[in-house]
Amino acid sequence: MSSLSDVLSEFVADPDAIVLFSPSRGFYDRFADADSVVVVAEENVVDAEQFVELPLSFANVRDRVRFGIEGAMDDGILEEGNTAVCVTSIFDDENDSVSRVRVNESMRSGIYDLFTNSRADPSVIRDVFDVAIELGKKGQKGKPVGALFVVGDAGKVMNKSRALSYNPFEKSHVHVGDPIVNVMLKEFSRLDGAFVISDSGKIVSAYRYLEPSAEGVDIPKGLGTRHMAGGAISRDTNATAIVLSESDGLIRAFKGGTIILEIDPEEY
Amino acid sequence: MAVETVLNAIRRVFTGIPPRVWLSVVIVIIGFVLSYIVAAVNRQILERAGVAESLEGTAIERTAREFGTSTVRIIAKLTGYFVLLLSLLVALTVAELGYADLFWSGVAVFLPQLFVAVAIMLIGVVVADKAELFVAERLRGIKLPEIGIVPALVKYSILFVATLIALGQIGVATLALIVLLGAYLVALVVFTAIATHDLFASCAAGVYLLLNQPYGIGDEVRVAGQRGIVQEVDLFVTRIETDGEEHIIPNRSVFKNGIVRIRE
Repeated sequence: MSSLSDVLSEFVADPDAIVLFSPSRGFYDRFADADSVVVVAEENVVDAEQFVELPLSFANVRDRVRFGIEGAMDDGILEEGNTAVCVTSIFDDENDSVSRVRVNESMRSGIYDLFTNSRADPSVIRDVFDVAIELGKKGQKGKPVGALFVVGDAGKVMNKSRALSYNPFEKSHVHVGDPIVNVMLKEFSRLDGAFVISDSGKIVSAYRYLEPSAEGVDIPKGLGTRHMAGGAISRDTNATAIVLSESDGLIRAFKGGTIILEIDPEEY
Repeated sequence: MAVETVLNAIRRVFTGIPPRVWLSVVIVIIGFVLSYIVAAVNRQILERAGVAESLEGTAIERTAREFGTSTVRIIAKLTGYFVLLLSLLVALTVAELGYADLFWSGVAVFLPQLFVAVAIMLIGVVVADKAELFVAERLRGIKLPEIGIVPALVKYSILFVATLIALGQIGVATLALIVLLGAYLVALVVFTAIATHDLFASCAAGVYLLLNQPYGIGDEVRVAGQRGIVQEVDLFVTRIETDGEEHIIPNRSVFKNGIVRIRE
């Protein structure tokens, strides 16, 4: 057993920062004397000085750790070459795993950027994700459903697209995150075309046929036209495209023409 | 023998006291019991109504805690004392202690007023504290050191009004204070009107723009000499974007200068 604790103590030796994911207050207080403690959680319940807000409780631990590290890098808490020890949970809400992460620029996958540095407000992106997750979980009347949300830079997106039919959201002032919206979007998701959502979260239009130029869009082969359109519009404008796939049920987010994040709604 | 004389003496003393005094003693005892019951019931009611929770965190509650009590208890006790004092007054009247009449009649009028004044003050302090907390909570997102003055201002305004009402209750001349309050309110209204004039004008124009949507997101327009694509229309401003530039134009000027919609 001593070898196991040796390995572990080596593993957690001299970190530049300790990154705690959603710690309880008691657990956080145990690190009171440590130099640099970063808390990554949905809400800063422990009043930590260094805090990175988690927009989604990523079920994928890799994404969660990435997001936390990128957030810490963005706040200048961590920089290239540092090592961080992350305490997080894989199975239940309890802390059950420790990982040692060497920070380097190639870690920047853009997950953090996707939420915080997009044109649209972070809360809007989060709300769209919530809607997409719910849509992916339940589908339309039990059948899997696909949807394409283009968030932010709505003016340009509207100029690079055309209406397939009358816009059901014309002269309405509905925002994602409004309580009624989930039902509404679920109903409208059987329409063809994309939803366009403005920077502040207003649903500008449904039924949009996107006409971006698809040059230089780098998405995995085998994804359909919906993904291609989403990737292309995110490259052509400053918008973020959030796509719910009808065939495999995954949600993918595109920014700048590349796929940034892939999540499975069933895990949330 | 000795015991008998003592008993006789006691009997004589008791029979010497007129029945009215007995009655008043009974009234005082009833008053004691009643005040205790009223205080207890009041406390129950206040706690059931969730007053205790809503007072959580206010300054008065914290001070009360320091003295090992709570605001709810203080209010309950006050009502108890009020009932007790009332019963004492009734008892004194019944006992017909003539020499005290004049004094007590004055007190009888004054006492309820004093109680109302104290109650108003208490409510005022609590409401002021609550308002301060509420405003501070709302302003938490704004990271500006001077913003701390706004909650304090709200608190002292409410306290000031409460003091005025309380003093008015017990008949202290408050004319000067009312004049002060009037001046303060006028200043507040005038400054607010001047400061928010542009905002209100923009807001009014914004309501029209949102309801009628003469232009929408994605339209190319020219407003106030700026040409570009509309990105966002909200209550106060319109955001228009050209290559690399974003113009944030107050809705007031959209209305004043008119809008050119560009169609190709």
